[in-house]
Amino acid sequence: MSSAQIEIQLIASIVAIACAIPGTFLVLRKMALISDAISHSILPGLVLGFFITHDLNSPLLIVMAALSGVVTVVLVEFIQKTRLVKEDTAIGLVFPVLFSIGVIMIAKNANDVHLDTDAILLGELAFAPFDRFLVDGADLGPKSLWIIGTILLITIGLLFAFFKELKISTFDAGLATALGFSPIMIHYGLMSVASITIVGSFDAVGAILVVALMIAPAATAYLLTDNLKRMLVLSVIFGVFSAIAGYWLAHWLDASISGSMTTILGIVFLLVYLFAPKRGLISVLYRNRQQQIEVSLLTFLLHLNNHQEISERHINHLNEHINWRRVRSKSVLDLALKNNMITIDKSIISLTDKGKNFTDKAIDYIITNDHSKIESIKEDFFLFRG
Amino acid sequence: MKKYIILVLLITVFACQQKPKKNGKLQVVTTTTMITDLVKNIGGDKIDIQGLMGAGVDPHLYKASEGDVSKLFNADVIVYNGLHLEGKLEDVFEKMRQQDKKTIAASDAIDTATLIGSEYFASNYDPHIWFDIANWEIITQYITDKLCEFDAENAATYKKNGANYLKTLASLKTTIIQQVNSLPIEKRILVTAHDAFNYFGKEFQFNVVGLQGLSTATEAGVKDVQRLANFIEEKNVKAIFVESSVPKRTVEALQEAVRAKGKEVVIGGTLYSDALGSRGTAEATYIGMYKHNVKIIVNSLK
Repeated sequence: MSSAQIEIQLIASIVAIACAIPGTFLVLRKMALISDAISHSILPGLVLGFFITHDLNSPLLIVMAALSGVVTVVLVEFIQKTRLVKEDTAIGLVFPVLFSIGVIMIAKNANDVHLDTDAILLGELAFAPFDRFLVDGADLGPKSLWIIGTILLITIGLLFAFFKELKISTFDAGLATALGFSPIMIHYGLMSVASITIVGSFDAVGAILVVALMIAPAATAYLLTDNLKRMLVLSVIFGVFSAIAGYWLAHWLDASISGSMTTILGIVFLLVYLFAPKRGLISVLYRNRQQQIEVSLLTFLLHLNNHQEISERHINHLNEHINWRRVRSKSVLDLALKNNMITIDKSIISLTDKGKNFTDKAIDYIITNDHSKIESIKEDFFLFRG
Repeated sequence: MKKYIILVLLITVFACQQKPKKNGKLQVVTTTTMITDLVKNIGGDKIDIQGLMGAGVDPHLYKASEGDVSKLFNADVIVYNGLHLEGKLEDVFEKMRQQDKKTIAASDAIDTATLIGSEYFASNYDPHIWFDIANWEIITQYITDKLCEFDAENAATYKKNGANYLKTLASLKTTIIQQVNSLPIEKRILVTAHDAFNYFGKEFQFNVVGLQGLSTATEAGVKDVQRLANFIEEKNVKAIFVESSVPKRTVEALQEAVRAKGKEVVIGGTLYSDALGSRGTAEATYIGMYKHNVKIIVNSLK
């Protein structure tokens, strides 16, 4: 590995961490789209900053851009408060306007400055190691590493200082107000951090990767945990993993680095979405199926309970009577047998004591609809989980 | 935990600051296919050359891949066109120059007074300088001198190759002049997708009209198409041309617009503008590309 390669991975990893932290809160507040909006609407701020300083590397550009990020949020909320449109519509109205104002300002006044949309939306990670931070001729590493590193330190500092406030205002704005700190202030503070992170990262990695790094790791972590701290840690891990794995995918394919990282982010999300133990698609489907069979089992046991006559309890009769397909009847029968709820004697099915007990309790529950009863059934008999 | 990750990564960065070994040859990285071809001709087997942009890649819209990082990182010398043809890459080269990397901008060789000005292009000069063979001769000499300076050991070879290539360019020029002269002046109207051929036009008295302006990043408006369709009708132009690195669509739209006026204009063929042809074809070299373009232009407009 050359030092350029290591530096790219390092920059990408730090950007990933810096994005995952505000990203987690944005996802929890259902404001993921705002990061995309900010990434576009910072353009007029950048252009104004450039008009004032005439220097593309001035920190004022970052400040102005962050300000226009906050302006975006203010405008979105303003439009949203009229209650004429929904939040996503408001976002969709605001950022194209701001972005296009930026584009027009460039077209009119700064055509020969490299402030174009391409440079802003698709920064180039491949070139980041060549833009060095030089002090008196001493090479102190890539410039973007310093910029994004500083932003990360500030973000981590703010996170530790305001963790409690952030947590409460995210989950219960009313409580936050009651406790005496303004959720509005926390909200704008968070948006400012998100804006600054986006601005600080776009030159190095491009706004599209920034948006992906803000949303995808947090959304992935959200599938795995309900605990805020754990979600933050998981987001960071997913972000860094995708950054590094994406780099090596790009290396292997000789392809765009940002593009590969975004691809890995998507793949990681997809895998977790499919295989997450609780909220994953497969486990949800599996649980639904289990429930279906449990209900069938109950129906079957109730049927047995209601019919003492032998003809009704013949194994073949069940197929016709309850109108089940053969496979389903078989799986229900197997389940009941395995749990010792029935016995089969010469194709005649009878309930065991345990089965009888279970059925009575179930009937009890159905009649009274008392939740405490079903809980005890689950504990006594639990079919699949026991 | 985050801090530990950062710490570990930082340590690895500072631990790995040594450069990889090379095979002793001068490592040259070039941008456009035209520059790659030229440097290959001058350097011959004394250099290892890596072109960043492949055939058919529009330099305005080039996107870096992971492999380009190592190419740039390991390069001893970087040769590029300049005048904002390579867009953001040039900023990178500027910065590398500040860190004592050896970079050669081909456009530095050309006296700005002879450059064609442009109100559209970022640097205010048309960057398609290679279409003026005289410019290319100056650039050949310039790159030869620079290579001699950077790699004095092989200077004799570079000088010899450079001189040979200058001779080839001179004979190319004679051939082209002959061909172009078979086309009467009033028929020398070149309509293409974007304004890449202004230097060509200036050298051989062509009236060059581009649909899109200089940068391929901007799209042609409806008005541009109408204006050009009127122009084609008025001047009775027989053929218009598509370019290898620009989508055909806009030129086809122009053809339709002319047809709507009840006139027929053919698409003369594909010209190579911002990139040479694919490897293995005759058009993969500057000489082949130039001959191909002129043959197509002259034959279609006759």
